Amino acid sequence: MILESEPLMDHRPPVTVKGTREGLTFLLDERADVERVCGYLETLITGETGKLFEGPTVDVYVDYGKRALTPQETWRILDVFRKRDNFLVRAWGSAPEAREMARRPHGMRPQHIYHGLVRSGQPLSFDGDVVIIGDVNPSAVVEATGDIYVFGRLLGIAHAGVDGDETAVVAAAEFAPMQIRIADVVSRAPQMRATMEYAYLEGREMRVAEMKYFLPWHKLRKRSGREERR
Amino acid sequence: MGTAIVMTSGKGGVGKTTTTANVSTALALLGKKVCMVDADIGLRNLDVVMGLENRIIYDIVDVANGDCRLEQALIRDKRFEHLVLLPAAQTKDKRALSAEKMVELVGELKHSFDFVMIDCPAGIEEGFRVAVAPADMAIVVTTPEHTAVRDADRVLGLLERDKVGEPRLVVNRIRPDMVKRGDMLDIDEIVQVLGCDLLGVIPDDERVIGNSNRGEPVVLDTSVPAATAYRNIARRILGESVPLMHLEEKAGLWGRLRKWVGGR
Repeated sequence: MILESEPLMDHRPPVTVKGTREGLTFLLDERADVERVCGYLETLITGETGKLFEGPTVDVYVDYGKRALTPQETWRILDVFRKRDNFLVRAWGSAPEAREMARRPHGMRPQHIYHGLVRSGQPLSFDGDVVIIGDVNPSAVVEATGDIYVFGRLLGIAHAGVDGDETAVVAAAEFAPMQIRIADVVSRAPQMRATMEYAYLEGREMRVAEMKYFLPWHKLRKRSGREERR
Repeated sequence: MGTAIVMTSGKGGVGKTTTTANVSTALALLGKKVCMVDADIGLRNLDVVMGLENRIIYDIVDVANGDCRLEQALIRDKRFEHLVLLPAAQTKDKRALSAEKMVELVGELKHSFDFVMIDCPAGIEEGFRVAVAPADMAIVVTTPEHTAVRDADRVLGLLERDKVGEPRLVVNRIRPDMVKRGDMLDIDEIVQVLGCDLLGVIPDDERVIGNSNRGEPVVLDTSVPAATAYRNIARRILGESVPLMHLEEKAGLWGRLRKWVGGR
């Protein structure tokens, strides 16, 4: 059973506007119908809410995501933007990073809770962080783009930060994994008594520390993450 | 309507066939009507363990292909009226039997027997899928070795995926002296890793192999501890609660004397 803490995406409006220092970024939902996008956009910038966009000339960045647009559709959308005199369309394209940021307003990753035993030959992978309530058996593999926390015995293989996030961690109540991978660093687990521990990367080296040091380390990670983003 | 139970393990050589023969015989001893189905097509063994190999005329593939009636292929046991065997084919391979056909066959057998015991082939491929398809319950056999436990883990995952009843575990060939020395996984460890109900523990005994070779299931020989263990499994299948037996070696005269003197 997988629980997802994030609400379903289907009810989001087809257009999201984000104000940045450079101007306005319009994110067009890549799955919504073009007509629906145009209709929504038109009421948004010329209807009642249009007042919000009044003022001096503003730079506009449009991000249409992974959608494959025909020339007609492109003109159809650009025509809507032309309805406002003070809009200057500076960029037209898809920038997945901007999209990612908008989807997770607080820099939050999706978080999952998995209940149950992870058996060998039963690969599990998650987008974001995951808490596994149960054991991870020898030669079972758990992957996540974020952190992995095991509320049980970690005896198998855990791969945190599969997409290359070197700040990801693997933690377990009983830490006795066969192998730990964080981003692209692979390490065999230390042969020690299994206690509550977590593995993280320092530089390019894998370290394992007791869980009591996790909180200060996590605070540090959050702070440095924010600085990078600025 | 009877119950279909599949004996499976993933790894070969852990004692699926021996366990099938002995548990089936034990159930027959308790007065149940039992049919053993050898699903290991191409590598049949169950008939040898039961000492019935010279009576085979038709096999499961003949029944599936419609070359004979189901009753014609069933072989009655020498010792028990209500114990029969449906043998596997030795010349064909595992593709000769489809999962749908197996479900149909076992469904038919369940009408006339209390228990249909299916002996599954090793591995997790087609043969496994076919053997597991008709099962209401699964018994996973493992030995106290890392290799067998890991394969059992994999098989349990597959059984859970296919939603085959509540799988139960039999730990075969345990040697209390080796467990004591720490050379063998102990039962608690195995049960904890596999997260599965324990149905029984069979102590290792060379007489099990000897009897199998003679075509006489060891369960009939009450002097062997393994026989009691198999009987207990049969009783647990019938819903009785039987405590696990003591696996400690019976101490010899010297051991008893030493204990009596005070040394432990």
